[in-house]
Amino acid sequence: MNTRGHPVSTTARWVLIALMLAWTLVPIVWMVLSSFKPTNAITAYPPKLFFSPTFEHYHALFSGGNNLWNNVVNSLIATGVSTLIAVVLGSAAGYGLSRIQIRGKDHLAFWIISTRMAPIAAVIVPLYLMFRYLHMLDSYSGLIVAYLSFNLPFAIWLMTAFFDDLPRDLEEAAHIDGATKWQVFWHVALPLMKPGIATTTILCFIFAWNDYAFAATFAGPSTQTIPIAAAQLLTQTGIDWGKLLAIGTVVVCPMAVFGLLVKRWLVTGLTLGAVK
Amino acid sequence: MTTHHSRRDILKGLGGAAALTTLGAGSLRTALAKTMADDKTWKQASGTTIQFISENTPPTTAIAANLEPFKQLTGIDVKITQLELGDLVKKVALDFGSGRSAYDVIYADPYQVVAPYHQGLMDLNTLNGKNGLPAVPKGIGDFIPTQLGAAGYFGNRDALYALPYDCPTMIWIYRKDLFEKYHDQMKKDLGFDPTPSDKITWEQYYQIAKWFNGDHVKEVKYGTGHQAKQYDSLQCDFSNVLMAYGGEYFKNGDQVGLLGSAKPGPSTLDQPAAIEAAKFYQKLLKIADPGSTSWDWTGVANAFENGRFAMMPEWHEFAGSLESGKLKGKVGYAPLPTGPKRSANLYGGTGIGINGNATGKQKTAAWLFVVWATSPQTQLAGLKSKEGGGTPTRTSVYNMPEVKKASHPPTDMPNMLTADTMQIAWDKDHIGLRPKIPAWNQADTAVFTELSKMLAGQQSPEQTMKTAKQKIDSATGA
Amino acid sequence: MAGNARRGGQGFELAMMSPALILLAAISFIPLFTMIWMSLSKVGLIGGLSFDFIGLDNWRHLFTDPDIGSSWILSLIYFAATVGAEMVLGTLMALLIHSLIKGRNFVLSLVLIPMFIAPIIVGLLGRFLLDPSFGLYSWFLSATGLYDGNILGSVGPALAAVIALDIWEWSPLVALIVLAGLTAVPTDILEAAEVDGASYRHKLVSIILPSILPILLVALLIRAMDAIRFFAIIFITTNGGPADSTKIIPIRLYDIAFRFFDLGYASAVGLTMLVFSIVIATVFVRVLQRKEAVV
Repeated sequence: MNTRGHPVSTTARWVLIALMLAWTLVPIVWMVLSSFKPTNAITAYPPKLFFSPTFEHYHALFSGGNNLWNNVVNSLIATGVSTLIAVVLGSAAGYGLSRIQIRGKDHLAFWIISTRMAPIAAVIVPLYLMFRYLHMLDSYSGLIVAYLSFNLPFAIWLMTAFFDDLPRDLEEAAHIDGATKWQVFWHVALPLMKPGIATTTILCFIFAWNDYAFAATFAGPSTQTIPIAAAQLLTQTGIDWGKLLAIGTVVVCPMAVFGLLVKRWLVTGLTLGAVK
Repeated sequence: MTTHHSRRDILKGLGGAAALTTLGAGSLRTALAKTMADDKTWKQASGTTIQFISENTPPTTAIAANLEPFKQLTGIDVKITQLELGDLVKKVALDFGSGRSAYDVIYADPYQVVAPYHQGLMDLNTLNGKNGLPAVPKGIGDFIPTQLGAAGYFGNRDALYALPYDCPTMIWIYRKDLFEKYHDQMKKDLGFDPTPSDKITWEQYYQIAKWFNGDHVKEVKYGTGHQAKQYDSLQCDFSNVLMAYGGEYFKNGDQVGLLGSAKPGPSTLDQPAAIEAAKFYQKLLKIADPGSTSWDWTGVANAFENGRFAMMPEWHEFAGSLESGKLKGKVGYAPLPTGPKRSANLYGGTGIGINGNATGKQKTAAWLFVVWATSPQTQLAGLKSKEGGGTPTRTSVYNMPEVKKASHPPTDMPNMLTADTMQIAWDKDHIGLRPKIPAWNQADTAVFTELSKMLAGQQSPEQTMKTAKQKIDSATGA
Repeated sequence: MAGNARRGGQGFELAMMSPALILLAAISFIPLFTMIWMSLSKVGLIGGLSFDFIGLDNWRHLFTDPDIGSSWILSLIYFAATVGAEMVLGTLMALLIHSLIKGRNFVLSLVLIPMFIAPIIVGLLGRFLLDPSFGLYSWFLSATGLYDGNILGSVGPALAAVIALDIWEWSPLVALIVLAGLTAVPTDILEAAEVDGASYRHKLVSIILPSILPILLVALLIRAMDAIRFFAIIFITTNGGPADSTKIIPIRLYDIAFRFFDLGYASAVGLTMLVFSIVIATVFVRVLQRKEAVV
């Protein structure tokens, strides 16, 4: 966008941007900085800006019996697989829902998104019972299904919106050329959907990645995710701030890089979805 | 506070303990074998894997780091899940609800697990020394009596649901350095000897706190700090004062506290003594460090270590971490002050029990673990753990010469510095016991919520106690 | 589309939808019916779950429980404050980032970081920053003389703090979505307006905002759905206190379900939350559809 004629002067704009970055980044920078402090310096008052850095908290996180690496793997598997299933099934269903002509289509669409609104604490008990009968407690499959309960409706909803916005001309042309519906979907519609798929994938990933309540109930000793590891530092005799801040840093860094890598797609993806 | 300990430190600490007490795996086996049972008895569930679910407490952390001797002794694999207490209660209740035994050994908080779900726990009397199973070494009489009553039973002494495992209890923790340095001046200004002990009254505690608030002292800003966040901790902090003033949650408070009751009758929180206690607590918190209302027991310990105030009522097991932090050697311990009725030191200990749905080898293995985890040898190892460890729940451990010697500085068992205080605090006239009732969580929530409203200036002490009573009565159906 | 339907019916579309819908039905209907049944029962735990049918007792309790009423009022305040502020702040962030020519991508990826941090960690980070004895923000506020009290332990500031934490975490999501809308604002119209000498405010009000309105509603719907469900930040910071000043309805529901294990009553509370969400969503979707019809 051109900025000529902007009422806010360049200086003022930079001040606002600086404020925005400060609001966002001060807590993160402080977290990263503090994660390298010796334990005593972390809770010092007044807060210390200078200290001799140490890796002890990281070392403690990645060694010994409760190695955080296990949690990272668990988080990646549970989040990754549930995201993959949500996106695959969601894309197919989204396309179907977008193209189908039936009465009550709006109601169906609304029912789908309404299943995502179930209050977390209230659905935990029914899901727990279900998982117990199916022997899915303390297993990846339990976590994956739990995450699907909010990610699948979200993926269908978003993908339907994306497919709704896709111009039909190309599909019609392919039909006339004798392509089957599947071929049209697979070779024409889906390739145009990359930004939409990227967007859906990332948002589903974030929602599952950030979950605490479900994992706290359905995960067992062998399937604990990263947020569970963080909550476990809240012990009876104290919060291990050093380790906690190190976990935060471990989570933030790859995500920031990840965000940098995909955000181009993300922005275009969302554009396609909702703006005509 | 938040002392950081790497896994290596713990192992180092335990290694040191092993060297000092010749407590290696081999000798532990011999030691246990001698007192309790032969090798065959210990090996009878070999090859089994059991699950132990525990609050993330120092004793469990120490045990988790030192499971190898148990595995060598018994051939049993123990998987430990450590959770925050609320999450633990949720998992245990759901496990009972599912009618299975996903967790075989359970950290059974007397108030949140034993009271509501004791029917889900096994009667340990049916295992102790029966059917070829080993008996509890030195018998259950070796456990400190008040702890065995509070952590082990419900309603009566017929069924034993848990063996005392840890025992945090609230005492008066203070800056010894400051109390010594300003002793004479305080004595002159206040007109009494301020040295902390149960001879000091709560009113005098208030005056001491106020004295520190003044400009006499540059080391600290306030006199007293409290764990007054709207949370369990606020109820604990208040209960000390309540019981000292002669207030009770229920009629027959001693009985409802020690053994518990499914039908405690109407709450007596609206009685004059309880209201007096609430008035005093409100007055005390007005001059306490204003941070108090956002701190739980961890937060207040942190602030104490940061030099914000001179004293606090706090769980005695915090001694372990305080003595390894920057206040090392500067901290003193005493029983809590006395009210019109007595000095009350709230007990927060817990036992470990066995899931009633456990069967066969799981059950056997679970019992072997419970015996081992509460044995004198394991408790001694816990004392030496760099993690601050737990403190023993057995009389015999306190009587070991080595442990006795450690109760005065310099010591390699920092938690033992509280030993003299604890001997008083766990006495049946000094211990403070919350009601052990199935609806305790509702009662607890009612009390800390209403107190929080009182501290926020939204309601009077009278109103607070009255509303708390009504809510408790509606929860217990009285 | 009509041609589509003629060409061999709707079998293909149905086949595409069925795997997802069957799975979704299983993981949503079973819990829903269990919840309805539990809300009519007294649920026992020991020796396996048991249901004692008690009719409408839980529902009667629900409508006479003063605590539930006050939690709902608080929830509405929390809901309006978080979602409202996130929409405004997120839009401002998006406009600012959009006005950048150089470094736009870099600034954007920095601004997005908070939403990747699990709410449970955000809450703990909040406690770390706001602790009266060592928190960076507490120290800053007291050193600058802005506020010297105890933020998470005082009635008004605690609510403001948990709202601020939620805003911190989720404004970036709104910013991201709005930014996508901004990149699609037709540039020719903007340039024409500029030639006519239109002020920035005029452009904003008459061109930019109307054209991103549909996407603003999408952002609003996503945030609104979650603002009613999520509770992790409050759970880990104040857990409802002090004096119940942050006890929004999901926190109370969690207490009833997992501290008191009154599962029947919890189901009734949960169902009312579900109904509330559906009503809110219906309103938003109606508005969304009307706007789309107009555009």
